[in-house]
Amino acid sequence: MLAHHVTQLARRTLAALTAVAVLWAAARVITRDLVGSHGGSDEVVLTVMHWSGDAGQEEDRIVEDALRGYEEAHPGVRVRRINPGDAGSFYTKLQTMMAAGTPPDVFYCGDERLPSLASLGVLMPLDDFIEQDRAEGVDAGLDDFYPVVLDGYRWDGSATGAGPLYGLPKDFTTIGFYYNRDLFRRAGLDEPGDRWTWDEFLAAARAIGQLDDCTGAEFVTWPRMLRLYLATFGCDVLGDDGGTLTVRSPEVLAALEQLASWRFEEDNTLTSGKSRVASGATVFLTGRVGMAGPFGRWVVPSYRQIEDFEWDFAPMPSGTERANVVASVAWCVSSRTEHPRAAWELARSLCSEEAQAGLGELGLAMPSRRSIAESSAFVDPTAAPSRDRVYLEQVEVARLLPVPASPKFDALLESRLNQAVLTGDLSVDEATRNFADAWKAEGDSPLMTGDFPRMPWGALARAASITALGLAVVLGWLWRRGRPGALGRSEERAGVLLASPLILGLLFVTGFPILLSLVLSFTRWTGIAGLETAEWVGLANYTQLFTEDGRFWTSLKVTAIYALLAVPLGQAFALGAALLMNTRTPFIGLWRGAWYLPSVLAGVGVAVLWRWVFDGDSGLAKALLDPLLEPLGLGSPDWFGSDAATFGVPAFAIMNLWMVGGSMMIYLAGLQGIPKELTEAAELDGAGAWQRFRRVTLPMLSPVLVFNGVMAVIGSFQVFTQAFVMTRGEPGDLTRFYVLYLYNQAFDFYEMGYASAMAWILLVVVLVLTGLFLRGSRRHVHYEGMSR
Amino acid sequence: MANITFQGLGKVYPGGVRAVEGVDLEVEDGEFVVLVGPSGCGKSTTLRMVAGLEEITDGTLRIGDRVVNEVAGKDRDIAMVFQNYALYPHLSVRQNMAFPLERRRAHGGTVRRLIVPGYRRAAREEDQEIQAEVSRAAEVLGITDLLDRKPGALSGGQRQRVAVGRALVRRPAAFLFDEPLSNLDAKLRVEMRAELKALHDRLGATMLYVTHDQEEAMTLGDRLVVMDGGRVQQCAPPREVYEQPANRFVAGFVGTPSMNFLEGEVADGTMSIGEARLPLGDAAAGVPRAVVLGLRPDRLRLAEPEDPCALEATVAGVEDLGDRCDVRLQVGHAELVARRPAGELSRWTVARAAARVAFEPAEALLFEPGPHGARIH
Repeated sequence: MLAHHVTQLARRTLAALTAVAVLWAAARVITRDLVGSHGGSDEVVLTVMHWSGDAGQEEDRIVEDALRGYEEAHPGVRVRRINPGDAGSFYTKLQTMMAAGTPPDVFYCGDERLPSLASLGVLMPLDDFIEQDRAEGVDAGLDDFYPVVLDGYRWDGSATGAGPLYGLPKDFTTIGFYYNRDLFRRAGLDEPGDRWTWDEFLAAARAIGQLDDCTGAEFVTWPRMLRLYLATFGCDVLGDDGGTLTVRSPEVLAALEQLASWRFEEDNTLTSGKSRVASGATVFLTGRVGMAGPFGRWVVPSYRQIEDFEWDFAPMPSGTERANVVASVAWCVSSRTEHPRAAWELARSLCSEEAQAGLGELGLAMPSRRSIAESSAFVDPTAAPSRDRVYLEQVEVARLLPVPASPKFDALLESRLNQAVLTGDLSVDEATRNFADAWKAEGDSPLMTGDFPRMPWGALARAASITALGLAVVLGWLWRRGRPGALGRSEERAGVLLASPLILGLLFVTGFPILLSLVLSFTRWTGIAGLETAEWVGLANYTQLFTEDGRFWTSLKVTAIYALLAVPLGQAFALGAALLMNTRTPFIGLWRGAWYLPSVLAGVGVAVLWRWVFDGDSGLAKALLDPLLEPLGLGSPDWFGSDAATFGVPAFAIMNLWMVGGSMMIYLAGLQGIPKELTEAAELDGAGAWQRFRRVTLPMLSPVLVFNGVMAVIGSFQVFTQAFVMTRGEPGDLTRFYVLYLYNQAFDFYEMGYASAMAWILLVVVLVLTGLFLRGSRRHVHYEGMSR
Repeated sequence: MANITFQGLGKVYPGGVRAVEGVDLEVEDGEFVVLVGPSGCGKSTTLRMVAGLEEITDGTLRIGDRVVNEVAGKDRDIAMVFQNYALYPHLSVRQNMAFPLERRRAHGGTVRRLIVPGYRRAAREEDQEIQAEVSRAAEVLGITDLLDRKPGALSGGQRQRVAVGRALVRRPAAFLFDEPLSNLDAKLRVEMRAELKALHDRLGATMLYVTHDQEEAMTLGDRLVVMDGGRVQQCAPPREVYEQPANRFVAGFVGTPSMNFLEGEVADGTMSIGEARLPLGDAAAGVPRAVVLGLRPDRLRLAEPEDPCALEATVAGVEDLGDRCDVRLQVGHAELVARRPAGELSRWTVARAAARVAFEPAEALLFEPGPHGARIH
């Protein structure tokens, strides 16, 4: 009896403690905004976030030192430092923190991101602080910064170069080509001069391309580099006003045609295209590429590891004029910081002369202060590249390129122009026209031009609470009505208690986000500023998707084609494998394991592996196919390059065959569930192997087939990782799967509402398809075999 | 219809396990032969070798005049009924029964139906023949009203009939049954037993039947093949197996309750078991040697004073079975069972502690020592 009381007491205490813990945690979350991040003490805590580029630990140390210095000079201020890794992870984390309402106070921002972040209102204008400083006799030293670098952080709402200042640049780089001095010598070439031209560039590239097993140059086609290339011919894709498109002007077309012809019409002048070398900054390390660029200073740390050959840096070649651009990173202050003054002082001290000198010595980038950049802290003739001065001289011809606030501009530009000058699956004419049409459609969309009211979150929350309360009352009443006896009640209580983690998780972790995304699909929300900035747009997202957004239909088509290929092929393959694995063979466990193994591997690793397999120049698929196809006078396809229109999606379907282990296991389990006597009986009844499979095995397996089929259809509409890692949807939108486009909208274009609408459309599509699949298969499925 | 001939048939599994060894047997055309034995005796393996589901590793097997060692099961023209019926759950009873005929039809090609002239007509006629055959078999088995149901909706006995029906429609050279009644309850088993027997009498077909139930074997078989340890122990009609078992194993396996065995010695016409001296006459003649005495339980009775063959026993218990009773007796270290009419119940209960039991010397069997010792008398 006593033991019973003790158990009961322990149980009640435990329940009470759990309830208190849950309530406390919930209260903390709800009242977070009221309490604030300083936690009640007087101490000021600032959060700083940055990334470390190729310099890695060194950059980490320099920032850390600067912060410690700041803390010593400012007692009472504590700085928390976050470094998520590379720039990609940094922006993902920044976006998450901003959406959560807890952005870092001071953080890195690249000049290419400034227009979008500034127009989203997440950055604090710095001019008032500078004024205040000046009044107090403190000089931030703005005059010492290179104007072209500093102006990149002025944004007037439509263009950079004027308006309020949003960041203090910590460093920058000009752009040019790195060249292999040994190869220049071998080809009998003079090294590039300070004023060299594209004709000289081309002549050098051709001469090096003639050398054994060598390629002239690696020419990357990022939007900024392409626009720099165009700038050397005195033209650009955007007019000087930053609004009108000039991508179809004769000068732009001619310059792009010329670049495409270098790549596709000549052997070994540029990498990829007809040559047999992969692309990227790392190909230069092989020592078999004459030049690589247009790159900035950021490749220097990795190129300094080169021991096999000498290399140096040359300026951007000139066409009709000399031109350059700067790429820079600045320290910015969050518009939501609670300690604006302290945050500004921190940013200022992070750009002080001492901090810049440390960065300059790293060699990763050029200090943004003229006094440091031109000092020995940066100009160091003893370490490669010896031509540090070239970087500085290029500042004279550097200009700001107008960038629209929408990140879609760069994304569209890169995607479309790469089709013409990198993969070659479109002509320059088609690609530029595609781009112009797509960008115009974007600008005309009611979503971009319309004026929408703010979301009435308060009213919505009240309505939702009342509904939930009402629902709870009704449910409670229904529950009470069907109440069982005392014994049943205690059993029921235990059941509810045991299921409660799942129920709570389902409600809050799954149910709430699902409902919220439904609400968001009727709004315009960046996903980066707080939820209160969301605007109610009604059905505009859906109308835009269905009537205006060509890329939506393209991504749906890509995904549907993939599903049509991958589901039947994959299931046939899995079933075939399961039949093989169901035989009595020595080492059967080993074979089964080998078949299953790929499906437990991490998606990203697998995708990277298959990127190599399908590499158009030196992939495994090519090595396997070429010997078979060459006698027929055919070559293996350039899967994700010029043949992507035909072979891009099938490549993913082929890759899918490698990962059918999960389906195979389920088929295998199904096959082993078929009684052996049935096939034996069929054999004695006169059925051959095919008839036994067709008349007995297949009908008995039909429920498993349907299950696997449905899962495969659902899975094929959720393809993301492979495409994200292998192609990023390129070339053009030829491999842009639905979920990848959804991701682009949500996290690259800051259109969380639009992406939510896409997610709900996907849900409906998958539901409808699954329903059709189940209905269509009903006549051919035999569940009798399951109920033995 | 055909006879089945086994010559030195044997099966060694890849691991080296000898499941069946040296089976010589001639199943006559139209004969009902039952393979019976404890589990693991090799009877099922033997049957599966006949069906072609197990490879034959030794000896030859003939069905009719044809050696079928290398012939696939589907080409041996035999039908088999499985222990758990092996009905196709996704097909109706009609489709189940038509299945073997569909697989053997001459005009089955879907494409040819469309292309070859006259093919469609022939195929239709064939369809009708198949349906007629199925209806005929269903009528014989009394399952006509079940034809459109699926196996899942049938009782055990009905499924059993369908399984037999599927074998029947084929009119095969021989029927094989692998413990077909063991999934049925006791009452149904007795009914189905009678029906199978009647079916055999009606068809006059060659049937090879495997069971571990010696009662089923006794009632069904024209001949029994008693197997143990992969070898045939005796092959004879049921009565002969019961009355003249070839060895101690057969004697012990056939009959309920099992035969009683007492170990002792014989010399000069007398058998000595402990203190007891039993005059067995000619059976016990000759030089002294060890033997095993076998007595059927129903041949033991309470001794009269003049009985020559009597043993001192202790009654260990009496089981009342209604129409009869089984008396458990202790003789020395051996346990015996006596099966007596129910009327004697009170006499045994009165006798309780000590009793004298007797038997007729002519009904005693003598075996060589050992579990498979041959019968001497």
